[in-house]
Amino acid sequence: MAIKMKLLIPRRKALLGAAGLAAVPFAAPHVARAADPLKVGLLLAKTGQIAGQTEYLANGSMLALEQRNGTIMGQPAELVWLDEPSPQGATQNMQKLVQENKVCAVLGGALSSNALAEEAKAAELKIPFVCDNAAATDITGKNCNRYTFRLNTPVAVQSRMLAPYALKYGKRWYHITASFAFGQDILKSSRELLKAAGGTEVGVDEVPLNTADFSSFILKIRQAKPDVVVGGLSAGDLTTFLKQWNELGMKGKIPFVEIAIGDTDIWGVGPEAANGTFTKLWDAYNPNNTPEEKAFAAAYLKKYGKPAADKAWMGWITARSLFESIDAAKSTDANKIIEALEAWKVPAGNSSYSYRKFDHQMLLRNLAVSVKEKITDKYDYFDVKATLPENPADLDKVFGTQEEIGCKMS
Amino acid sequence: MLEILLSQTVSGLVLGGLYVLIAIGLSIIFGLLGIVNFAHGAFFTLGAYFALTLVEFFGWPAILLSPIIVGGIGMVAERLLIRRLYDKEPLISLIVTFALALLIEATVRLIYGGIGQPFSPPPFMAGFLIWGPILITKYRVGVLLTTATVLLLLWLFLEKTPFGRILRAGSRDPEMVGLLGINLPKVLTWVFGLGCAISGIAGMLAAPLWTVTPAMATNAIMPAFVVVAIGGLGSFAGAVIAGLLVGVVVALTIQFWPEASGAVMYLFMALMLLLRPRGLLGERWERFE
Repeated sequence: MAIKMKLLIPRRKALLGAAGLAAVPFAAPHVARAADPLKVGLLLAKTGQIAGQTEYLANGSMLALEQRNGTIMGQPAELVWLDEPSPQGATQNMQKLVQENKVCAVLGGALSSNALAEEAKAAELKIPFVCDNAAATDITGKNCNRYTFRLNTPVAVQSRMLAPYALKYGKRWYHITASFAFGQDILKSSRELLKAAGGTEVGVDEVPLNTADFSSFILKIRQAKPDVVVGGLSAGDLTTFLKQWNELGMKGKIPFVEIAIGDTDIWGVGPEAANGTFTKLWDAYNPNNTPEEKAFAAAYLKKYGKPAADKAWMGWITARSLFESIDAAKSTDANKIIEALEAWKVPAGNSSYSYRKFDHQMLLRNLAVSVKEKITDKYDYFDVKATLPENPADLDKVFGTQEEIGCKMS
Repeated sequence: MLEILLSQTVSGLVLGGLYVLIAIGLSIIFGLLGIVNFAHGAFFTLGAYFALTLVEFFGWPAILLSPIIVGGIGMVAERLLIRRLYDKEPLISLIVTFALALLIEATVRLIYGGIGQPFSPPPFMAGFLIWGPILITKYRVGVLLTTATVLLLLWLFLEKTPFGRILRAGSRDPEMVGLLGINLPKVLTWVFGLGCAISGIAGMLAAPLWTVTPAMATNAIMPAFVVVAIGGLGSFAGAVIAGLLVGVVVALTIQFWPEASGAVMYLFMALMLLLRPRGLLGERWERFE
């Protein structure tokens, strides 16, 4: 028995040894940190109707990191992607990204309703948040905060850009918009523009999300006989609407216009049914794309086997702005990253991409596009009609003054 | 006003027809197997995806294979998974079939990607018919006729064939059917396959109208549960009446109060269940009491 006791490690020593092993990471913090990658959060929906778009947003952001050989500030970096199933779920996941995954900034915000909640959470957690898709005006308007930056052109601005195209068809408008933040914002902006132009709203429908059958709405539009239908439907709902608009013989009879179309929305409609005039931020087939954008489009095609949708570019440019700003800040400190994002600027043809300092809204020209008469390539649906505003010097004016947009950062 | 009401009622009947098809499979599976199949919407999605793939590779006639394949997958799922749930708590079957739905959706997403797939009605069904105020497309007439045919065949099958009688007897007293020397487990496999195949038919018919995405089941499964609850769990005729009623109520709400069109079917269900807790034609089933 005595011999056996000698062979065994005494319990007290074993406990000390285990404690010592557990303490190794604390004893050598420098070594451990050097091996840890720098983490950036990606907060984008993984399921639901918007998931088709977020797949491209995420691909674009991942490609932006890959093009930098997976490094930021010269050290290995990784994107941690969590879901944004609802405004509440999104804020919980943002907290998880910051507190558990220790990310230094967050990219994301696919839906306006989610992004509005996420930007408030970003301010509470004091973490830089770069919103890559949501377009609700208030994100960089009255709800703006120091920690939030936003790429997509606000609904009110895009509506102003599209209004002349709608007015070309007439002044009797029918509104069909989604009954959540994005659609309500479009309805409000469009009504103001119509009123200013002396037009009449001949009908309005606020449609619940995930509506599967639009035939009853389309029958109402047919009865109202408007000059033009101004839409405010998002993602899959827009796709379904356009399919059924064609199926019920309305394509070509009453023009349809909407802001912020995504390539993935129209790809799902199909060449037979697609129609309308829209605004969008970027088009892979636009000959005026910058050399960097052309290189991105080529890299995307090579990696994923299909052309980059506008959402892929949106994921790419926001990620690029954030990664380059962290590089410039030479730190993961939130305040330094924010200052670097405010100073970030890259050329874009005869204009540039940059975030405006007083509201953190990216200033960029939009495209006015119409569906081609004949579609021969299943990914190339649009003719670019104009780049708006036509004079780049008007960008600041078109996006509105600080007083007009109501952003007051504390 | 009468013209508007007529027009919207016809539109609602087409939508209701699709709801009936989705719900009837769910109702059969619950009525005969006692399983609340949360994966039913996923089989609807599979019907849509198989339809567009078959048309792309083999042309329109091949679309008829879509529900057969979906039914086959349903039978495999029953043999491997569902039959282990027959003697378990209803909550277990809910959780397991919900997991199956997520698995099917994720698999579809993996193969086809998350974005919508373009798919239009067949060229020979393009165009529409106008009778006074009523506008209906040829394709939607086709949907209504197909729904009616499927329902008639199903009714004949359940009521007039020996196999149908075994099914109905097995749903009421499985022990007695077993004692008569009938291989009930095999019969139940076919029933589950049949329910899934009908869901596949609904998916196939909806594909040219709805957006074909991995998440399209969301638009199918909730109305299906509402229709089954209103019609009475396990009631064939109840599901038919309830489906058509829900379609018409939704269409008329769109005309007069569009903001409420998403919620109206749930309000309708709540009202119906307050008045008739077993649903319109629901009966007392000893097995489930």
